Amino acid sequence: MMMWVTGGVLFAYAGMLALCQGLERHYKHVWNRPCPRGLRLGLRGVGWLALLVSLLLCAQAWGWAMGPVAWFGSLSLAGMLLVMLLPYWPRLAVGLSAAVPVWGVMLLLA
Amino acid sequence: MKNTFTQSMAWLHTWAGLIFGWLLFAIFVTGTLAVFDKELDHWMQPEIPATEVSQADAAQRAVAYLQAHEPKASNWGISLPTERSPGLRVSTGERRHGGGVQLDPRTGEAIEVRDSVGGNFFFRFHFTLDLPRNWGIFVVGALALVMLAALVTGIVIHKKIFKEFFTFRPNKGQRSWLDFHNASAVLLLPFHLMITYTGLVIFMLIYIPAGVDALFEGDSRAYFQAQGNARQEQPRQLARQPGELVDVAPLLAQAEARLGPIGGLNIRNPNTAGARIEIRPELGNRIALAKGQAMVFDGISGQLLSDVPEWRAAPLTQRVMVGLHFAQFGGYPMRWLYFICGVVSCVMIASGLVLFCVKRGRKYASATAQPSARRWYRVAEVCNVGFVSGLLLACVALLWASRLLPVELVQRESWEVRAFFGTWLLALLHAGVRPARRAWVEQLLLVALLCISLAALGGMADAMRVGVVACAMVLGVLLGLVAWRVRQAASAPQKTRAGRSVEAGA
Repeated sequence: MMMWVTGGVLFAYAGMLALCQGLERHYKHVWNRPCPRGLRLGLRGVGWLALLVSLLLCAQAWGWAMGPVAWFGSLSLAGMLLVMLLPYWPRLAVGLSAAVPVWGVMLLLA
Repeated sequence: MKNTFTQSMAWLHTWAGLIFGWLLFAIFVTGTLAVFDKELDHWMQPEIPATEVSQADAAQRAVAYLQAHEPKASNWGISLPTERSPGLRVSTGERRHGGGVQLDPRTGEAIEVRDSVGGNFFFRFHFTLDLPRNWGIFVVGALALVMLAALVTGIVIHKKIFKEFFTFRPNKGQRSWLDFHNASAVLLLPFHLMITYTGLVIFMLIYIPAGVDALFEGDSRAYFQAQGNARQEQPRQLARQPGELVDVAPLLAQAEARLGPIGGLNIRNPNTAGARIEIRPELGNRIALAKGQAMVFDGISGQLLSDVPEWRAAPLTQRVMVGLHFAQFGGYPMRWLYFICGVVSCVMIASGLVLFCVKRGRKYASATAQPSARRWYRVAEVCNVGFVSGLLLACVALLWASRLLPVELVQRESWEVRAFFGTWLLALLHAGVRPARRAWVEQLLLVALLCISLAALGGMADAMRVGVVACAMVLGVLLGLVAWRVRQAASAPQKTRAGRSVEAGA
């Protein structure tokens, strides 16, 4: 169960991050250059997709009754963490998304 | 009132938020702590051993103890060791809370356990503010309505909900406080709305009794029976004839297969031919709160007499909402989600309170302001310190009191409560005599120190108690950081003119 829980939280964070970076202002803040249109749309698409994956993982961990409750909580807290990290350590905030592939590898090995 | 709709909403949000925010902060903090009430109980009563005894063994030892000491009692209550509450408690009579005897689950011998209000104090304070029960429920209900109003008016007056969804600009004084208040409120809006609304639903029959009055002529027992919660008729004749109790272990196994983890059992009319064994599930096996549900077995034959009733749609809806508020489902990961969401809610309320003063500080604290305006501003400032950091101080003082007060003290529990309120009062007085910023720093620093040094009280025999201390330590470090930032900001204003109210970092 802990694996699914962790995955749900990680994908929630990755989704919020992608949606955030899909906004002109926040992309510029991290990378100091404007965001190309294609990338912007891509980031938003990936963001929503990651949130959906997060919902599936939460449902996997808790079932479809409790899963959505946990999903909302994870989304909120992931967003909160992101908002707190961005102004102080913008690169770290983006770098944290590297935990998603690490999690994927661990899932395959487990 | 003001001219436009948005202005009147802003007016309502500001003043309702300030006046009621002080108590709402206390309700949210104690509610957040109550998420881990059983863990706090366990930490506050270090005599209870953490053991891994099967529930069946524990139940048999409890029955043996009751046979030896209370064979004539009309009711035996047994709380079995569970994941969150490793103690084994037996009691007689109808008393649900307190009373009873703690047993060592390994031997079935009684153990001396200090009296302590435990984490249950935070739970009770959360919905009664320690007033007489019904008064408290009404006051807290009214505050919850104000909270709902504050949330809705907050949504109305926040014009850039999506544009500033991810925005937080630190070190910009008032701007930073507003950003943080907005971000924490918007991002956790589902949680805020859910927790406030479901909180009101718990006592809906106390707040709006008209439905039960109309349909059942105010007879709430008839109402509960109509829901299928009817208590089994007690067979009076049989209860006078002696009988021999069946072994509880197979019944526990049967109930566990049906209900999931078991919380405890009641044996009515033990040692008579009319004995009934009621086995109740732990609260967290599903979202809907299963309080009051039990499987009933015949105490002599071991036959199942009544299963848990299925709720109809309307009561089930209410139960699910109540369950969403109680957060007993989903195991520890869910509990942590609720706890952290609760912490963010508390900080959201606190940031709103601070924002009130930050926004007005320059206008009212200066010498040119009217004396009466300055006096009122000072009241708001003092209350902010006393109700925010003062309450935190009171909470951690309760934990210290539970360990430091002499074990043999008469009415020890009420002394613990006195320590809580006494500390709170002292904090308010301290805030009244110190300059606001120094009062913030001193009180937050003291809370941080007390949290971090909880470990010095020892008694960390098992993972759960270590967890409580570790969590307090993390919170202590965070509060210490806040205190440090406020102190830094206090010495900054000479450098930058706009730096007056820089104290972000909550």
